[in-house]
Amino acid sequence: MNNLTINPIVALLVFPGGLSLLAFGLIYEYVDRKLVARFQNRIGPRWFQPLADFIKLLAKEEIIPTGVQPALFVILPIVALAAALTAALYVPMFGFQASYGFSGDLVVTLYLLSMMTLCIGLAGANTVDRFSLVGATRALTQLFSYEAPFLLAMLGPAIAAQSWKISDINAIAQTGLWNALVQPFGFVVALVGLMGKLELPPFDSPEAETEIVAGALTEYSGRGFGLFKIGRDIELVIGLTLIASFYMGGIANPIDFLWKTLVLLLVTAALQSLFARLRIDQTVGMWWRTGTIVVLVQLLVIIIGQYFSPVVQPFVQKLIGG
Amino acid sequence: MENTKAPEKFIVAIGPQHPALKEPGHFEFTVDGEIVTNATARLGFVHRGMEKGTEDRNYVQDLYLMERVCGICSHVHAMAFALGVEKLAGVQAPPRAQAIRELIGELERIHSHLLWLGVAAHEGGFDTLFMYTWRDRETVMELLEILTGNRVNYSANVIGGVKIDVNKDQKDALKYGMDFLEERTKHYMKVVTEDETFLGRTRNIGLMTKEQAELLGAVGPTARASGVERDVRVDSPYAGYDMFPVKLVTEPAGDLEARFVVRINELYESYRLVRKIVSKLPDGELTVKVPRRIPEGETISRVEAPRGELFYFMRSNGTDKPDRIKVRTPSLCNWASVLTLAVGHKLADMPMILAGIDPCFSCNDRMVTINRGNDTQVWSWEDLRKYGIAYYK
Amino acid sequence: MTIGSMIGDILKSFISKPDTEKYPFESSEAPEHFRGMLVYEAEKCTGCQLCVKDCPADAIEILTIDKVNKRFVMRYNVDRCTFCAQCVLNCRFNCINMSEEDWELAATSKKPFVVYYGREEDVKPLLKKATRPGEKSAPKEKAAAKD
Repeated sequence: MNNLTINPIVALLVFPGGLSLLAFGLIYEYVDRKLVARFQNRIGPRWFQPLADFIKLLAKEEIIPTGVQPALFVILPIVALAAALTAALYVPMFGFQASYGFSGDLVVTLYLLSMMTLCIGLAGANTVDRFSLVGATRALTQLFSYEAPFLLAMLGPAIAAQSWKISDINAIAQTGLWNALVQPFGFVVALVGLMGKLELPPFDSPEAETEIVAGALTEYSGRGFGLFKIGRDIELVIGLTLIASFYMGGIANPIDFLWKTLVLLLVTAALQSLFARLRIDQTVGMWWRTGTIVVLVQLLVIIIGQYFSPVVQPFVQKLIGG
Repeated sequence: MENTKAPEKFIVAIGPQHPALKEPGHFEFTVDGEIVTNATARLGFVHRGMEKGTEDRNYVQDLYLMERVCGICSHVHAMAFALGVEKLAGVQAPPRAQAIRELIGELERIHSHLLWLGVAAHEGGFDTLFMYTWRDRETVMELLEILTGNRVNYSANVIGGVKIDVNKDQKDALKYGMDFLEERTKHYMKVVTEDETFLGRTRNIGLMTKEQAELLGAVGPTARASGVERDVRVDSPYAGYDMFPVKLVTEPAGDLEARFVVRINELYESYRLVRKIVSKLPDGELTVKVPRRIPEGETISRVEAPRGELFYFMRSNGTDKPDRIKVRTPSLCNWASVLTLAVGHKLADMPMILAGIDPCFSCNDRMVTINRGNDTQVWSWEDLRKYGIAYYK
Repeated sequence: MTIGSMIGDILKSFISKPDTEKYPFESSEAPEHFRGMLVYEAEKCTGCQLCVKDCPADAIEILTIDKVNKRFVMRYNVDRCTFCAQCVLNCRFNCINMSEEDWELAATSKKPFVVYYGREEDVKPLLKKATRPGEKSAPKEKAAAKD
């Protein structure tokens, strides 16, 4: 299946990367907050609230605390945002063909998405504030714990499609059964791993408001804080797109993109409001025990299935085609 | 003072401004990685000089001043004060007034426990439970508004009785409200005792044995959650608790989960009591006449606030202004237990352990004289003024 | 041991109306015995000053215009009042009551917070006296018999 293609420069700056990605990040943040509010029986913000927050944060003074490396302090939010924006180039955003895809870009995208957590960890370690140090430690601990299962879960559809290129995986996922049905464990681990990556509750121990004020970002204010926040929103969009294109039958056009990511967002919002916050040692324990084993079992099943594919394929064809 | 740049000793200071605390207080936790090795506290940020303020006002005005010591326990403070003054004057309020005092006391307990449930859930990161319990708390606040005219600071007590009455419409509203709240509370009990993630935050955290609770002097639901059978309403009943007695609720476990369970069980008891009082309210007058000038004497008056035992010492000198009023609130007794229990737990458990005793900082800050051998420091008014002037020079 | 024990609540809230009251666009009625602002009727007053004596916040003053003919004016500082209703209890002639409708008492300056209750002719000279040089207008006055 061919997705539409766009001139690369336009794709980089305006659509679907760049400005429109920022806009979509804000819209998705609004939908997420509104859904969580509705689940908690309250009204929630109005549609322009995330935009208003962003503009307000950009307008505030950025205070550089004493004892930090000033250059690092200012650069880190910019690097995080740049990494998030760059990751969008390889993913089929909004149903259009990925603008700069190449073979192996799955690994690059996943690394770029982890840059944000690394930047947060560095930002926290940069200061002398107690809360930031504890928050940075927790952020990096969480990074080490969910990253392996998440990568392995992303690998499942890649193995099934026999390719490292996201566009190819997207194209192949559009044929046949949805991967969410064929590889259910991988789907669950991928979705929950996305929540861990974005530090959404119940995995928000690195920025636990009632324990360590704001975690690693305690000292940030104004522009730096706004850039971190919008970087996180963009990661939400990209993560949802990745999971939708891998597991929910590929993204063929914008309508497809919209409804699939919104359904995933609904499930994510429900999961956010159901659980109490997990302590950092409980998070690590859960991921390294349950998460990794589950996804390894899943991969084993896929590999065995691929091995026996010539034998099994006719049966499966009969089942689907029938 | 610990060295803050040595790698193993690391002090995390919580407060006086911190999102975990609803009111200011300063806690220093010495942390080793994530394990807490030492905890100290410093209170006194909300000291308003209320005990001194009572000496300039007459008894009637003091009733309203004492009511504003705390927002959630306001009725029990006023009730303790009124009971004490009535004891000094040698009168007793009529039965209908005592029953109405107990009614509002139990409604306040429901309000306080629902509020605490939400706040403790919020400290554990469980915002959904927080929103739902506070939504249901609105019911009891509306009931109190229908009865007394205000949602907090009810001003129902006067010296000698109460000033509000309960008519049929209010009784129906109360019954309806209690039914609704009881159903919701059953659901919260299920959530608190069965939800996996929540149990991971509360089971076996903050474990306090019965001996420790008695040694550290814990009071209220914090002590009852460790099996200590101590409740002023049962040990020395006051104001209507001999007409409508309450059952003692304890739990043997002693951890955070037990504190949740104890408070929810107390909620059930309160619903039962409110229904009973509403159906069997004795007839009679609402107030009894109390003289303006209270005869000389000293008395103590103890009531059970939602947080524990509240203790008033009052001394009168024959005029219409009190001589000395001393307030000892329950939250002050429970701090020792927190500081002892915190050692050995992770930093992430600190907010929940702090919230587990239901701290009320504004009740807390009364004057305490600490005798450290022969190093007592007591300052008079003049000393305080001089110190203040010198400090700001 | 359940995982996600509040799922029933969540799903039910998703399909029903949120519980928030959209104040100030919709506001609910205050109940019958609500303690709002004070209302004073000068005709019934005998000037015994019991209400002034027991007020914990010194919010009321009764000014005597004419003791023989029992003409009094009350100066009520709304911002000091704690709405405790002790004055209502003390008054034996039922001339002080608390309103159920007047509870939205926010204002942007100090002037509306000093209220004079009494007869027209008694209050006017007081208002003129209260206007100090430099102030543009006098504090608000309320007519003696409301609603």
